[in-house]
Amino acid sequence: MNPYRKSPGGLDPSDVDEPDGGPDGIDRRDFLKAAGFTALAASAVGCERIPTPKAAPFLIAPEELVPGRALRYASVCSGCEAGCGALVKAVDGRPIKMEGLPEHPLSRGGLCAMGQATLLGLYDSHRLQAPTIGGETADWAAVDAAVKPRLAGGKVRILTRSLVSPTARALAEGLVGSLADARLVVYDPLSCSAIPEAHERTHGARVLPRYRFDKARVVVGFGADFLGTWISPVEHAAGYSVGRRLDENAVWHAQFESTASLTGSNADERRRIAPGEVGLKLSQLAGKIAARAGATFDAPAGGDDLDPIVERLWNARGKSLVVCGDRDVEAQVLVNFINQHLGNYGETLDVASPSFQKQGDDRALEELRRELDAGEVDLLVVAGVNPVYDRALPVEKAGYVVCVAQRADETTALAHLICAESNEFESWADAEPAAGIVGIRQPAMNPRGRTRSLIEILSAWRGEAKTSLELVKERWKDAFPWAEAVERGFAEVKRDPVAVKEFDGSGVKPIAAGPEGFALVGYAKVGLGDGRHAYNPWLQELPDPVSKATWDNYACLSVATAARLGVTEGDVVRVEAGGAAVELPAMVQPGQHDDVVAVAIGYGQRSTERFADVGPQWFERNPTLGPDGLIGADVGPLLPPGLLVAADAKVTKTGRRRDLASTQTHHNIAVPEHLAPPGGAVRPCVLETTLQQYREDPASGVEKAHLPDPDLFPPDHPYEGRKWAMAIDLTRCTGCSACVVACQAENNVPVVGRDEVQRRREMHWMRIDRYYRGEGDEVTTSHQPMLCQHCENAPCESVCPVLATVHTEEGLNAQAYNRCVGTRYCANNCPYKVRRFNWFDYPHDDPVENLVLNPNVTVRSRGVMEKCTFCVQRIQEETIQAKKEGKLPADGVIKTACQQSCPTQAIVFGDGNDPESAVSKALADPRRYYALEELNVRPSVGYLTLVRDRAPDGGEGSSHG
Amino acid sequence: MVDRPTEELRPPWILGRKGLGDVTRDICDVFEREPTALWWAAFTVSSSMLLAGTLAVCYEIATGIGTWGLNKTVGWAFDITNFVFWIGIGHAGTLISAILFLFRQRWRTSVNRAAEAMTLFAVMCAGLFPLIHMGRPWLFYWIVPYPNTRGSLWVNFRSPLLWDFFAISTYFLISLTFWYVGLVPDLATARDRASGFKRKVFGFFSLGWNGSTRTWVHYESLYTLLAALATPLVLSVHTIVSFDFATALVPGWHTTIFPPYFVCGAVFSGFAMVLTLMLIARKVVHLEDYFTHRHVGAMCKIVIVTGSCVGLAYLTEFFTAAYSDNPYEQFVFLNRAMGPYAWAYWTMITCNVISPQLFWFKRVRENLVLVFLISLVINVGMWFERFVIIVSSLHRDFLPSSWVMYYPSSIEIVTLIGSFGLFFTAFLIFCRFLPMIAMAEVKGVVSEGRRHSQARPAAAPAEDLDLDVAEARA
Repeated sequence: MNPYRKSPGGLDPSDVDEPDGGPDGIDRRDFLKAAGFTALAASAVGCERIPTPKAAPFLIAPEELVPGRALRYASVCSGCEAGCGALVKAVDGRPIKMEGLPEHPLSRGGLCAMGQATLLGLYDSHRLQAPTIGGETADWAAVDAAVKPRLAGGKVRILTRSLVSPTARALAEGLVGSLADARLVVYDPLSCSAIPEAHERTHGARVLPRYRFDKARVVVGFGADFLGTWISPVEHAAGYSVGRRLDENAVWHAQFESTASLTGSNADERRRIAPGEVGLKLSQLAGKIAARAGATFDAPAGGDDLDPIVERLWNARGKSLVVCGDRDVEAQVLVNFINQHLGNYGETLDVASPSFQKQGDDRALEELRRELDAGEVDLLVVAGVNPVYDRALPVEKAGYVVCVAQRADETTALAHLICAESNEFESWADAEPAAGIVGIRQPAMNPRGRTRSLIEILSAWRGEAKTSLELVKERWKDAFPWAEAVERGFAEVKRDPVAVKEFDGSGVKPIAAGPEGFALVGYAKVGLGDGRHAYNPWLQELPDPVSKATWDNYACLSVATAARLGVTEGDVVRVEAGGAAVELPAMVQPGQHDDVVAVAIGYGQRSTERFADVGPQWFERNPTLGPDGLIGADVGPLLPPGLLVAADAKVTKTGRRRDLASTQTHHNIAVPEHLAPPGGAVRPCVLETTLQQYREDPASGVEKAHLPDPDLFPPDHPYEGRKWAMAIDLTRCTGCSACVVACQAENNVPVVGRDEVQRRREMHWMRIDRYYRGEGDEVTTSHQPMLCQHCENAPCESVCPVLATVHTEEGLNAQAYNRCVGTRYCANNCPYKVRRFNWFDYPHDDPVENLVLNPNVTVRSRGVMEKCTFCVQRIQEETIQAKKEGKLPADGVIKTACQQSCPTQAIVFGDGNDPESAVSKALADPRRYYALEELNVRPSVGYLTLVRDRAPDGGEGSSHG
Repeated sequence: MVDRPTEELRPPWILGRKGLGDVTRDICDVFEREPTALWWAAFTVSSSMLLAGTLAVCYEIATGIGTWGLNKTVGWAFDITNFVFWIGIGHAGTLISAILFLFRQRWRTSVNRAAEAMTLFAVMCAGLFPLIHMGRPWLFYWIVPYPNTRGSLWVNFRSPLLWDFFAISTYFLISLTFWYVGLVPDLATARDRASGFKRKVFGFFSLGWNGSTRTWVHYESLYTLLAALATPLVLSVHTIVSFDFATALVPGWHTTIFPPYFVCGAVFSGFAMVLTLMLIARKVVHLEDYFTHRHVGAMCKIVIVTGSCVGLAYLTEFFTAAYSDNPYEQFVFLNRAMGPYAWAYWTMITCNVISPQLFWFKRVRENLVLVFLISLVINVGMWFERFVIIVSSLHRDFLPSSWVMYYPSSIEIVTLIGSFGLFFTAFLIFCRFLPMIAMAEVKGVVSEGRRHSQARPAAAPAEDLDLDVAEARA
């Protein structure tokens, strides 16, 4: 059996005794074990759960549980509704890491930063532990007794986010159906409601197509941050990376956007447009496509600058994809029109097997708002969403409000009854993110409190209280072999294709340019998304991939606009729109449109009050929280309900300052102009070339000029066995920062808080350097993952007085924490500045949160240096396992944490001495270069040049506006 | 010419036509009488500074190095700046005691004792910083290569920090020995004048000195030998300190010019500090006759030489960078002169290169107020030199993503103040309890000695200061 994805016997006893379910034959021992667990589980489930204040060791451990040996359970990520496949790594019965599930058909082994960080939510000591009625702790019987009569009579509305779980959806719909006047209202905080609506008009079916970026060769995006936050970023990134292999199927990507998004930073061509211009550009594009396709379309004049894009799109008919993040239905109808005439339906857009990742219907939500305003709703059940925060829904106007939530938030504050929901790691669930792909989520531990999962709550209210396991299993047991699906983490089921009508272009009409003038644009930040994980310190401290700022939201202004307003970075500005105002520090964001002030949504939430004491406490520290006691400020009141653009915004300087906590403060790859030595202005850390040049000479862009001279001395390290090496493909890396959180989780990297980040003391071992090329707002952006380069001639090693950092036989630059006295000489001498010093004893005071710590990695004390180890614990774990079988681990078995989670598989790790290993092959690529190769430190990490498909002379970002 | 009295050829080093007894009286009086109000005032201020610094260091050790303004890119700043600064200050002492002794520069006799004491205190201040800058200072002894039970665990002999440990501890020990040996005859004088407990203490430390010719002969040869031993240390200590930077690959540090550049800088700053201290001391304890304009002038001339060497080193660095065609190296120097720390760089240039050039003018050298002010300015400049080398090189190195700014925290500033507190407190205590001028040596250059020499038939050469010391002291 595969060493991971074992189903936890203790939690799923019943499948073992099924003749079709058992993976192997069942012997006596297994039967007894299963029987014992059945009895145990039955008694546990049958009784009221007793809160366990302390974790006690197993007196008699389950046989498969070897202390210290990690088990991996296949599961489904619950970070958002994208439903990516996940592996939950558990040691000694506690999950310690989320990883990507390599076999999953959507996410293909990747897992985003947000998904991985959900694990910290399991160990959140602020989670609700028991249901409350009117603020008083209650038991579930009382909850059911309070809710059931209210369900029976009166107007009942159930408000949820997209129910990607078919079981939950069926239960909710069943409950609603069984009631006299009830309705299920679904909305997504990051709404995509316009896309299904547009398809309803053009295709006669309310579906969200599944976007097949893996099949697209030309991608044109209009404000859709599909690699960062839009619908299903990991799935999209995995598909997108197929086209980044630089073979004949290379993807060409153009992005039109008003903000500087992660997706835009990866585009081959990026154009800044005002938010009001999206419709106009789409209309012009539609007109030009229609003209070629022989269709009639009354396009507005102009748009000749689109001709090269049209040419590319047209040449890639059936292999192109136009996506748009706009929330305007008319714009989405235009997008459908364009995709239809490009022949993309059925190819790169799948409406027959659509996506269920966004099911929200904003019109239904507005109807609910109207009902609430009219005081018509008697019972409002809010499950898993925070509509008071993200939609300003007047829930208090309902007769009785029931919240199903894991944490206290703005909505639970108004609720009469709060059902404490189990964490996703504590209950069974399923997910069908795309038609026919069903993920099964196993729990990884018992609930910590007296909580129930949503499906358990719904089933109890329907009068047949069942466990989540029973519910999920019942739903699927006839559809596929249950145990196998649990073990794999997903199953594929046959679904009837959604019946769509012939494309109906009758309603397609051009859109005129929107109102001109300064607009406020709300955007979702990578990592924080819609803000549902605002409680999560890993995500709060994750640098934004483009701005590199942490812990706050801020008002992004383009370079020109900032200069026009006389604003510099860190000036507090007052942003006014829609009759409301917020005060935020300004961020000068090159590449943003000049008529836009962009502010991240999802900030200013009540759940962030908890960060008052995050980070080291000493007398000169500055608070992590902002002036109003929260992280960031809520920009929602400034935006029209459900929309992200507010026209007629105003930005004024307040004269105060609040410096941003950025992990990078020099943003350009070139040194400041007045300090640039002749010919040495641009630092050769990210080497770039164009696709055309690459095809002529694969080694183009790699500078050979500064290669070190041959060494006088014989090599003192023969590296006779394995020699670890890594290759990072900058063309595939999107900068999504999943690796940063993966590393943080794997290596017990502490969260240090806003003030420490501001003092430039973030502890991330893996960081992504972001560089702009060019001046002003016409910049191109590149991302470079930077970690310890494990140099053969490591400058850090020779200067340590106590030999705390030394080289291993296998080429690792090892750090002995015990021996380190903390002179920081090694960090000074590191040209890559990847060494991190423990400036303080970072607090590990929360005993619950400490459960997330990886027991195989030391928690470092203050005063010692630390850095990337190439996940030496993972190397050792697999090597020991393989050694037991008398061999070495096969290539690819050992994966570093960053590599494991990378959605685009940009990172390859392995034995550089093995010529057949994937890493050796990657490092043999002519595109390979080493960062700062001229220093002759001989890094073990090789980079592959960043290849963009653009005109060779456009490399400096000056080609397009 | 031979017939003319030497007084007319060269003014005497010691004014006031002192007799041997006058010297003993004048100098012993400083530590035998009750301390003056001025001394108490100075002591109060300096010990308060020391106390504040001690509290800051305690807080830092209790809380973490995070209480300093360092960050992921700038791992050293005030700590190592202060360290190199104090080590530099400590250079004048040995130079005056050893090298000037070997070169028979008789004017050194008035300043060598105080300069040596200053050296010791400066090295103590300096030694403090490598200790407290460690993340885990309680494990400082791991830097010492001692036999241990941790298997084959040994120190890294390739690390310049280890060389530092040897260089500084050697320097401190030799300086201490040299200072103490020089003190022995004076301690005997003090013993002979004291009574009671003091007499016992002085008696113990004067090692039974009896002033016999035999004792003097042994003493002289030991002193000369120690001087010869200490001489290479003057060059080695700061050479090795400069290796901390020169062997690193940080642009702006990785420079072969650093050893001579650092030694010159150290002597430069050391002499400036001796000037500062002695100009205060001569006023406070009324030793104007022993530390005269001529002494000041001689020291000013050394300051011109070393200051010009330092200025040349600054220029050479720029030339090397320009000539190297190494963009990182070139950038560092452009960044020093025009980057965010340009103010520190130009402070350094003004203080270290321009201000000592004023000493070319005799009127400046004679104006003790001006000399005092310039000596202070040089001390400031030399502190900034180390700050510029350390911080402006580190804060913008290879990868622009890691570029940072460094700002000191209050704890760091108070720690720097505290190190001055330690230095001045120790110096004031030294003035209070020990003869701050080497009486035995000064007696060789007083007029009394001159009379003896003139009485000799075979007249000494014109620069007749090279007396037989033993004779003078007889």
